[in-house]
Amino acid sequence: MRNRAILTAALLTVLVTACGSSEQPEVVEQIVVRDRGEAAPAVEADAGATDLIAMGEDAFQMCTGCHVVESGARSTAGPNLFGVVGRTIGGLEGYSYSDALAGSELTWDEANLDQFLTDPAGYLPGTDMLAGAVRDDEERAAIIAYLANQSSSTGE
Amino acid sequence: MASFILNGEPITIDVDPAMPLLWAVREKAGLPGTKFGCGIAQCGACTVHLDGQPVRSCSTAIAQAEGREVTTIEGVAGPDGELSKIQQAWVSEQVPQCGYCQSGQIMSATALLRDNPAPTDADIDAAMSGNICRCGTYTRIRRAIKVAAGIEQPRAEQAGEEA
Amino acid sequence: MNDMSPEEKKTSKLGKWSRRGFIGAGVLAGGGLLIGIGVRPGNPIGALGPKVAAGAGEQLVNSWVKIDTDNIVTAIVPHCEMGQGAHSVLAQMLADELDAAWDNVRVMQAPADGSYVVSDTARMFAAPFTLNAADWLEPTWDGLFTKLGQSMDLLITGGSSSIRTTGQHQMRIAGAAARQMLVGAAADAWGVPAAEIATRDSMLVHEASGNSAPYSEFASAAAEQSMDHTPTLKTRDQYRLMGRSKARTDIPAKINGTAEFGIDAVPDGLELSYAAVVRPPVPGTSVISMDASRAEGMSGVLQILNMGNFVAVVADSYWQAQQAINTVGIEWSQSESPVKTMDDQFAVFSSALDAAGDTGGDQAAARGDAPGALANAATSIDAEYRAPYLAHAPMEPLNCTAHVADGKCDIWTSTQVPLMARSEVASTVGIGADDITIHHPYLGGAFGRRLGSEYVAMAARVAQATGYPIKMIWSREEDTQKALYRCADMSRMRAGLDESGALIAYDSVFTQRHDPAEACVPAMYDIANTSVRVAEAELHLPFQAWRSVDHSQQGFFIESFIDEAAAAAGADPLEYRLSMLTNAPRHTAVLEKVAEISNWREPSAEGTAKGVAIVESFGTIVAEVIEVDMTSGKPKMTNCWAVCDAGYVMNPDGFRNQIEGGIVFGLTAAMYGELELEDGAIVQSNFHDYRMLRMNEVPNIEVALINSGDVPVGGAGEPGLPPAAPALANAIFAASGTRLRELPIAKQFV
Repeated sequence: MRNRAILTAALLTVLVTACGSSEQPEVVEQIVVRDRGEAAPAVEADAGATDLIAMGEDAFQMCTGCHVVESGARSTAGPNLFGVVGRTIGGLEGYSYSDALAGSELTWDEANLDQFLTDPAGYLPGTDMLAGAVRDDEERAAIIAYLANQSSSTGE
Repeated sequence: MASFILNGEPITIDVDPAMPLLWAVREKAGLPGTKFGCGIAQCGACTVHLDGQPVRSCSTAIAQAEGREVTTIEGVAGPDGELSKIQQAWVSEQVPQCGYCQSGQIMSATALLRDNPAPTDADIDAAMSGNICRCGTYTRIRRAIKVAAGIEQPRAEQAGEEA
Repeated sequence: MNDMSPEEKKTSKLGKWSRRGFIGAGVLAGGGLLIGIGVRPGNPIGALGPKVAAGAGEQLVNSWVKIDTDNIVTAIVPHCEMGQGAHSVLAQMLADELDAAWDNVRVMQAPADGSYVVSDTARMFAAPFTLNAADWLEPTWDGLFTKLGQSMDLLITGGSSSIRTTGQHQMRIAGAAARQMLVGAAADAWGVPAAEIATRDSMLVHEASGNSAPYSEFASAAAEQSMDHTPTLKTRDQYRLMGRSKARTDIPAKINGTAEFGIDAVPDGLELSYAAVVRPPVPGTSVISMDASRAEGMSGVLQILNMGNFVAVVADSYWQAQQAINTVGIEWSQSESPVKTMDDQFAVFSSALDAAGDTGGDQAAARGDAPGALANAATSIDAEYRAPYLAHAPMEPLNCTAHVADGKCDIWTSTQVPLMARSEVASTVGIGADDITIHHPYLGGAFGRRLGSEYVAMAARVAQATGYPIKMIWSREEDTQKALYRCADMSRMRAGLDESGALIAYDSVFTQRHDPAEACVPAMYDIANTSVRVAEAELHLPFQAWRSVDHSQQGFFIESFIDEAAAAAGADPLEYRLSMLTNAPRHTAVLEKVAEISNWREPSAEGTAKGVAIVESFGTIVAEVIEVDMTSGKPKMTNCWAVCDAGYVMNPDGFRNQIEGGIVFGLTAAMYGELELEDGAIVQSNFHDYRMLRMNEVPNIEVALINSGDVPVGGAGEPGLPPAAPALANAIFAASGTRLRELPIAKQFV
């Protein structure tokens, strides 16, 4: 009967894809670090919080959604910022930049990074960095100090 | 640990200072109206106001909120629950579909209208292009912003068969 | 939305059945009334009572409606609300037949229970060509499908089906039946003929005697009324709510942060921990080894689990779990798939199409003698079209909260298929379905993705392993790269034209055919010789229905190729289509209307051009005209006009919103949608490289509706999508002479 044939075609598609594999493997390895009742171990106080670079590293946490700062690491949403100070704007090989950055021949330095981070789209109209403005002057300076410290000369 | 003003009330949240404001607000302050969409400041679903400025809370460490004022979607209506002009326009224009992105859309639109009471289409594009709506309600969002600004009239509920 | 307390659940008991049958009624202890639609003898409607009745003050009028002592009418809707507005419109349909006061109508999500199986959706999938209300009310037929639906766990929301099946065949009947029973009860009490009693705004009125009462007064007495199994439904001129743009009931909660989505679940009395997960980068592979040494030392981490086919980290917060799992080194097994890149995937398709040749493969549709007519055509054209894999990318990432304890399991999640999810959890954690409760609040988008339930089973496994409740959230990267997908495909198309340019032969062969079966057939056009063939080929990525399913790629293939035929004939593409629609008056009217509102027959503005496409899908005919501006060398969409004929539109504004959304979804895919492969794994990961159209990129959209009348009602959620991509590609051809045979478009104009 015609209707039944279509039923199997239509519905089984939904069912088969919904069910996936019928045999689920067991838990292979379960590492219990801590029970829920136990208090979390105290996180070490950051002794260097007064240091500008350390402050910058803390502040940079808000950028880690898009950027890694690690020598040789694959870029995430934004380019890998290891060694960004001193690098040609739009110059990280293998990263697909917006037209706004790709054509530039300038080099990133503390001064233009400061302008860029103050207002990314204002400094480089067309940039894909839709978020990322750092309005707090001190925070911005700290982030730039941190990035400047992360270069091939200092290592990690 | 961070202390700040959340929707007008002082609050102290004892978490890693690097934790994004988004997760602190959702999981620790119990305000789930701010949404997680992408985690990398690309979609705008997590938009909140930090000292009045729209920011992506998924990419804003809670330490940055220290001593500042944070407003979430739960803090947009008046203290008596009276809807803001933006919220009223979102109803009159029947903007939301799934609704998941709309908290962020409303936060971005609220900041836009506060700074620019009569935005042009280009102003709306600039202010709202950081907010993705996967259901595709953009044309209604644009109209609702204009309605809230008084540039266009709210659409009255249609009566009768329209076609 | 079920606000019943546990205590009330315990005390609410059912009395004996007073009636069974197609419309069955039961009496609750304390005098309440319970009536079910589509309930067969033996179907435990009684067990539903405690799940949907809030307590002593409320009366259940039937399984799709209840009335409380304040005369509030609650429509119990068996479909999920994922943005399509079904909750609101289904309530509108029920309330209209019931003559309920709209301001006092509430909506409640039906619990995930087998008794709420959407039997009419089963029938729609089973019998798409026999959508006929009269047949469907036949009890045996109904019983068959209810049973079939239950055995397949078919409490689903999909196929643009809510209004045209559940709404038309259940909600309306429920409302009409309840109204007749209330009238009957009042007639008995007042000693007047039922025919003299009028109903309006949830009131019963007998003018001659001066009697009047709210519905709630007779809700109990209505239980004693005998019931006509096929209550009289309103005719269109009697509608008061249907066909009106009533405001959606879910919107107030969606503008102030109070709407609860799956990801917002905070179960009462449970302390949640949070799980992040990493799934295999290449489908079908599994964990060989895991190095969690860094994660073990990170703050907030509770557990790290190698689940065989995924890794999970459980922590005090989701962010901590995600930070920690990012540091876990995982070695995955090798994939056996020969496909490492999209070139490989298209090579697989190409081989299958080569093997099928000019006449091979499975014949999906045939009319006349296509091979013969192609051989004798005055002009023939051929083209190869391609479509990429696509992710659903709902704004709410996949997530699930699960608690497994004491042989029971509770699940909170956004799903289109709560009963299938329940079955999958049952088989995964070894707990009977009756001991599993699925709580399913609003969905933050779905588009077909949440027809799959693998993420629900994953959360249940983690919760079972930890022994405490966890909320699992997928990162956007997991959601983009390790999910289920709209298939890629390739279609080879040939057409033959006679001396006048008329299309006399059409042949297409492609590799993917899922749903709906008719999506690949250009059935509306008068083409004397048609052959449509499928040469099946294996997909590297797992398939899941994606908004409009096969129409999403077939609409692009067919309507672009028809445009090529028009160009070969030297004809205007819209007039050429009209010339082939001589037996399709509704399609003709839709095209004529879109020509009118888009000023198609007037010259386009300098630098712009228009393209048209028309697709019938899910019972609705949609034509779209898109205008592009190519003056910058790149396509900029300026305007889109759409005309839809769904037969009859229940909520015009809601319908327009769905069509607008379908257009944006279709144009997003057309411009940007593409998943590329590297070593068999998806390259794109988040919205920066899996791009969405944004506010500054969408065209103005104008949607006009035609209520052509006496045909089954069509869907809204999907039909706006299929014409979008071809209309855009055809506009670009008109503007630039460049024929686009693959998607996405934007990268072809860098």
